[in-house]
Amino acid sequence: MLALRRQVGTNLCMRSIMIRPALRTVPMMFTQVRNVSYERLNAEQVQDKLVSQRKNRPLSPELAIYKPQITWILSGLHRLTGIALGGTFYIWMLAYAAGLPVSTTALAGAFGALPVVVKIAAKFILATPFTFHAFNGVRHLIWDMVKLVNNKGVITSGQVVLGLTVVSSAILAFL
Amino acid sequence: MLAVSRLALRSSVRPALRSVVASPVMISRRGLFEGYGLPQPPGNIVGTVNDAVPTPAPDAVHGSYHWTFERLVAVSLVPLTVLPVATGTLSPAVDALFGGLLIAHCITGFQSCITDYIPTRKFPRGHIFCNWLLYIGSAGALYGVYKIETEEEGISGAVKKIWNA
Amino acid sequence: MFKSVIQRAGPISIRRMATAAVEKQALVKTFQIYRWNPDTPEVKPTLQEYKVDINQCGPMILDAILKIKNEQDATLTFRRSCREGICGSCAMNINGTNTLACLCRIDRDVSKDTKIYPLPHMYIVRDLVPDLTLFYKQYKSIEPWLQRKDVPADGRENLQTIEDRHKLDGLYECILCACCSTSCPSYWWNQQEYLGPAVLMQAFRWMIDSRDEAGDKRRSFLENGMSLYRCHTIMNCSRTCPKGLNPGQAIANIKKSMAF
Repeated sequence: MLALRRQVGTNLCMRSIMIRPALRTVPMMFTQVRNVSYERLNAEQVQDKLVSQRKNRPLSPELAIYKPQITWILSGLHRLTGIALGGTFYIWMLAYAAGLPVSTTALAGAFGALPVVVKIAAKFILATPFTFHAFNGVRHLIWDMVKLVNNKGVITSGQVVLGLTVVSSAILAFL
Repeated sequence: MLAVSRLALRSSVRPALRSVVASPVMISRRGLFEGYGLPQPPGNIVGTVNDAVPTPAPDAVHGSYHWTFERLVAVSLVPLTVLPVATGTLSPAVDALFGGLLIAHCITGFQSCITDYIPTRKFPRGHIFCNWLLYIGSAGALYGVYKIETEEEGISGAVKKIWNA
Repeated sequence: MFKSVIQRAGPISIRRMATAAVEKQALVKTFQIYRWNPDTPEVKPTLQEYKVDINQCGPMILDAILKIKNEQDATLTFRRSCREGICGSCAMNINGTNTLACLCRIDRDVSKDTKIYPLPHMYIVRDLVPDLTLFYKQYKSIEPWLQRKDVPADGRENLQTIEDRHKLDGLYECILCACCSTSCPSYWWNQQEYLGPAVLMQAFRWMIDSRDEAGDKRRSFLENGMSLYRCHTIMNCSRTCPKGLNPGQAIANIKKSMAF
């Protein structure tokens, strides 16, 4: 059982040394003098004190200070592109199911009317998340087979995925 | 005498460079997702320091079966994604399979996000609400896939048409 | 004997025999260190700047913070013990990555400040000291000891082949410094339910130990939505391990062994 002592403020130490000078082996000027006395706490009080200390504690920062690394940046991008693509797909399908004017002909007509530069830019913006998520997904499946799951494998495969993303979305944008 | 000897000791050390007074870069004591939802036990600790964290009852449906299902769907999507990009549109049956698998993939993906960012211990009702929103949305999207297969040339056909517009 | 030699040699010759010491220029590096005092809990955590002459300091970050504590600010608080990277006490976040202060060299480019934070997303006891209670409770929950139904046949040793012993290499060396778990974003958001890479790697260490017979029980501990499966193979853990271990691979192995 942990006996936690709490400072109260009376001068017990000094008194005990002064009362029994015969027991003193060290001259008083070299002993540490503390103006405290102690009070025993039972297990429940100790636990309560611990809990009250924990309530005040701050959380150390994480996202704000952690060094951007290919590991968690690409993983975060995989999730972000997944949500963006999934959300777009769901919204399109739900709109289609609801009967909104998002039929292929309507969308193709609207898209076709845009200037060429805007079309290519839009295709690039649409293709990049898709190709990144696809290639990074394959990278995840390779990891699930316990291949390339080491620092070198992660970094190299990450760079390959980024390269493939840029190249393939450029190709798709000009298709 | 003790005080004098302490002073003598310090002066013999190479004069240290005094620190600048605390630069007031305030750091939030609250994490990014902290402070929202149900209050958590102080320090995230339940029980005494000698108790192990409780092990949940085995639940393979949400454990290894879910993981395996997720990977199977993802693996099946790889050839179904490559094919239309490489060769053109898919046949209606294959395209329907693609649409269904894509929705299954979206469900597992969104569920992963919900479990991570809206956990039951913090948002007991929010978690259930988001899951139901996901299921209902998925049902609607599945109906949308059915419609697009029957009325148009399927998802791959639609994308091809818009892309080449 | 020597006294007479010295007396005859004279007062200056001792100096001449010794190698002349080169006076190093002062190379002043700025450290910004996270501070929080539980005695004044209403004061928010801050970064405090310290300037240290690193030419008069050992090469590692631990040397620098000990120098600061000895000469400038005795209230700076941190854990430390072995100073050689084996005890795991001095784990902290240095320049954005989690590592051991006693193994992290001071960057001698003095135009850049070195930022020292405690391990990320942990409750802070004081300054750079995190509360690792939950981490240890999680370690205890995986029952990290040998479990068998019977004693060995000769009554003395649990025999193991060299190949089986080799499987433990890269797993048993973990010093439980908590660098990997506190680098994992999933552990940041769900540390009450997700066990974290350090504990999961130790779970795997016992699963593949050929002398252990509780593999199925160990897998059943992880057979739920949170304890193991919050891992999304982010791989921050292996990237940051100061001992060069690979918790990410261990977790991938657990998932594979549980799936098939």
